[in-house]
Amino acid sequence: MLATLPLWGNPYVIYLINLSCIAVVAALGLNLLIGYTGQISLGHAAFIAIGAYTTAILSTKVGLPFWACLLASGGVTAIVGFGLGIPCLRLKGLYLAMATMAFGVVIDFVVITWGKLTGGVRGINVTKVSIFGYPLDSDNKMYYFLMVLTILTVLAIKNLVRTRIGRAFIAIRDRDIAAEVIGVNITAYKVMAFTISSFFAGIAGAMYSYTMGYIHPEHFTLLLSVQYLAMIIVGGLGTILGSIFGAVFIVLVPELIKAIARASEMLIPALKGKYDEEWNIAAFGLLIMIFLIFEANGLYGIWGRIKTSFKNWPYTY
Amino acid sequence: MKGRGMWMGLLVFFLVCLLAIPCFGQRGVTKDTIKMGLILVKTGPVAALGLPNGTGMVDYLQYLNDTAGGVAGRKIEVIWEDDSFEAPKSVAALKKLITRDNVLTVITTGGSQQTMANLENINQYKLPNIPNALMKEFYDPFQPYIFAMGATYEAQFECIVDYIFNDLKEKNPRIGVVYEKKEYGIKGMEAVKKRAKAYGVDLVSELALPTGAVDASSQVLALMNDKVDYVVTCLLLPPTITYLKTAEKYNYWPKHVFGFNWATDDMIVKACGEAAKNYIGVNFVGAWWDESPGIKLVRQIAQKYNRTEIGLTSLYVNGIGVSMLFGEAFKRAGRDLTPDSLKAALETFKEFSTGGVFPPATYTSKSHAPHEMVKFFKADVANKRLVALTDWRKPKEMK
Amino acid sequence: MKSGLLFFIQLFASGIAVGCLYALIALGFVLIIKATDILNFAHGEVIMISSLLCYFLMAKYHFSFLTASLVTVLIAALLGILTERVVLRPMLGEPIFAVVMITIGLSIFLRSMAGIIFGHDNYVFPSPFPKEPIHLAGATLSMTQIWVMICTALLVFIFFIFFKYSRMGLAMRGTANNQETALLMGISTKRIFAMVWGIAFVTAAIAGIFLANVMVVNIGLTFTAISAFPAIILGGLESIPGAIIGGLAIGVIENLAGGYLDQMIGGGVKDVTPFVVLFLMLMFKPYGLFGKEEIERV
Repeated sequence: MLATLPLWGNPYVIYLINLSCIAVVAALGLNLLIGYTGQISLGHAAFIAIGAYTTAILSTKVGLPFWACLLASGGVTAIVGFGLGIPCLRLKGLYLAMATMAFGVVIDFVVITWGKLTGGVRGINVTKVSIFGYPLDSDNKMYYFLMVLTILTVLAIKNLVRTRIGRAFIAIRDRDIAAEVIGVNITAYKVMAFTISSFFAGIAGAMYSYTMGYIHPEHFTLLLSVQYLAMIIVGGLGTILGSIFGAVFIVLVPELIKAIARASEMLIPALKGKYDEEWNIAAFGLLIMIFLIFEANGLYGIWGRIKTSFKNWPYTY
Repeated sequence: MKGRGMWMGLLVFFLVCLLAIPCFGQRGVTKDTIKMGLILVKTGPVAALGLPNGTGMVDYLQYLNDTAGGVAGRKIEVIWEDDSFEAPKSVAALKKLITRDNVLTVITTGGSQQTMANLENINQYKLPNIPNALMKEFYDPFQPYIFAMGATYEAQFECIVDYIFNDLKEKNPRIGVVYEKKEYGIKGMEAVKKRAKAYGVDLVSELALPTGAVDASSQVLALMNDKVDYVVTCLLLPPTITYLKTAEKYNYWPKHVFGFNWATDDMIVKACGEAAKNYIGVNFVGAWWDESPGIKLVRQIAQKYNRTEIGLTSLYVNGIGVSMLFGEAFKRAGRDLTPDSLKAALETFKEFSTGGVFPPATYTSKSHAPHEMVKFFKADVANKRLVALTDWRKPKEMK
Repeated sequence: MKSGLLFFIQLFASGIAVGCLYALIALGFVLIIKATDILNFAHGEVIMISSLLCYFLMAKYHFSFLTASLVTVLIAALLGILTERVVLRPMLGEPIFAVVMITIGLSIFLRSMAGIIFGHDNYVFPSPFPKEPIHLAGATLSMTQIWVMICTALLVFIFFIFFKYSRMGLAMRGTANNQETALLMGISTKRIFAMVWGIAFVTAAIAGIFLANVMVVNIGLTFTAISAFPAIILGGLESIPGAIIGGLAIGVIENLAGGYLDQMIGGGVKDVTPFVVLFLMLMFKPYGLFGKEEIERV
């Protein structure tokens, strides 16, 4: 059913889903770092930016095909992630958060100042992506492309989490000193977590470049990093489904609230014209708080509760 | 895997049901209404730049409805979507307006970033619009549906430098630039540098002032240290106010302080008082207290709709000006109103006068370039307003 | 005096003045972190709301500056206690990530409520301080700046006495050190938490009121809180004197960088420098100049 959506769905909805796909990929990467390895990062937007700019620059200035750009984005971002992971090895908690935030500020500065390479505050107009000569010049075509990438990412991460690497990550998150005692090389795995998480952020950035067609330093602010943090926490830390829930939630809920508001405006004429975008955002913030107070494990936790209640439904003890 | 697929499917299904399937039929126009879209920032840190503007746009069209029954027998309805100044939101809003609300076109798709992100969509859906931004890329290369207005940042600052050399007759002025590291700031600084070079003079200082700066002391002190005579600021209104007040504190009075359109508003004089006494700003709209017929109408409309707390009044004037252009275009297109007829109507504008709100507007089928003209305004501290110093002028042709 | 020396003194003096503002903001963060380990993402919003509230009380309702400030501070304190009660009390014992996320949700909520209640315009605060600056040992300082410095010094003094000698203060320090033991000793941790949040919000309000005098008042004031982060790291996350010294240091470093380096390195390094300092501190002295070192290896 998902596969047929572009044929009959509203382009507006298709576009939103495309944005969600990008968010899901980036959120999954971040979740690997924060949810599974317990390393908090406020610099995710900077990594996405690196990926986005790599693709933008390579596709416009060098004219590389999409697969090369994607890999390059992932690769370059991963290398930078590796580079950030090493000095951050000794840091934890709030200190790590600050360091990653500082990193974000520095990257922002570099992008704006190195105008020759990045276009600075003029931004970059990204050429349309084409798959082996077949141009993806509509939301519908991008939809398939993005869906495929997203599904691949989910599969990759799901498998990664099951391997030794994944278990090492979780060990570091839960009891890192004990993990070291039983032979887990914390240094290696922490850096690996940064690297892999950045790789996916880079891929997401590339997807973003191709989807938006135009990138600008102000698309990748600290606010975006905080948004991604929101996605994985509200969705449910340390779970793949949680990241997907969270990403979709953060991208779609504001639009949903708007749609509901507009619909109720039509049903109850007294409300017409009273709709103010601010209420939307206020409701959004309120929702986040309510969800978390209600269920600290986020949407995933709520989903779990719903599932259990369905299972237990006829028996109400 | 199955569970997840099912969940995703359910969610999507729910969404699609809630958000209706696209409408069909003649776009945006019925027997007695014209539906227009508007994408402009209403929330977030730069809301102050979008609200007065959009309100002006809506008010003028409402004024047409109330006094003339609309245009050609059709009343105009405006649907204003907020984009919080974020490009993805602007694109989403555009898609919503077209596919769900079925608007004829959008008055504007927002700021420069948003318009750039929407270029594809503008061309695909044929949306004649007037961007709320001043980038060269909007008309060079030619964009069939974008009608640029105003003066690009480059033109504004070139006029300023021209003024220093030609009007103030300086031979070797010491010029310093204070700018924000944003699009307008960096473009402005580079334009000043380039133009000054063309006159044979190098800039003495180039200082960045961060947007959220709590204090401008180091910048002012550096300018004083370098004995700068003319300070050109490429800053929004709040940092300009911070700058002027800091300069006042240090008793730093260069011959003049220049500013561009976003900072040239009565608010500067209201907020800074004496500190703005040697401020000269450029803008491509008339000042709020002008006595030209167009501006008088603006004040009339503001009073009619009870706009007592507008904030940046120059933006309200701007908004009305943009709607004046659309209103005239609707008139010229007549009853046969489609995106293409609207575009053609706009292209018949030849020195179209808005009565002093904007300089005369001209568009042809080959060029939608803006007029690139500005007026200079100086601060009238006693009356807390700006007064015009010059008439409309363009940057000089440099050999 | 030589103009070079004069230049330096000016930069330094205004750096201290700005630094006091950073110190005040940092203080609010550190108080909460020290007591509850929470990084309060909504701190910037409290600052912004205090500025706007004080402005409106003066501009719309014609309160005097003193009255408006007092009312603002009181409301801030109440807001702090309310936040602790309604939003954070239910989260006791929940993973720290969730709690931090709640402060993020709160910040979003407060920001939009502020937009709805106060509007999005830029407002100019009717400053009660005389405009005529004071010249002191070669430095020019406005009366506002002098008052900021006086108030900061006063607050630091008050806090010092409070934490060292009063029963409440001792109770707070005990709770911050070890919650369980404090409970055993009969200290009501719930009341302590409420007080801590109240006091932290009060410092935010004071910072906000001063900021309103120095800057244009609008919603964008929320971003001033970020400037305090380098200060907190420099001083040490859990040290109150550290927050003050960190704030002052960052103010001075920022100004000196702006005055001397901006001319050489195109691109304006003034706003990046504090974060570079932050990063370096984290690399070499993560616990700050005054923080307590928690012994943990990689």
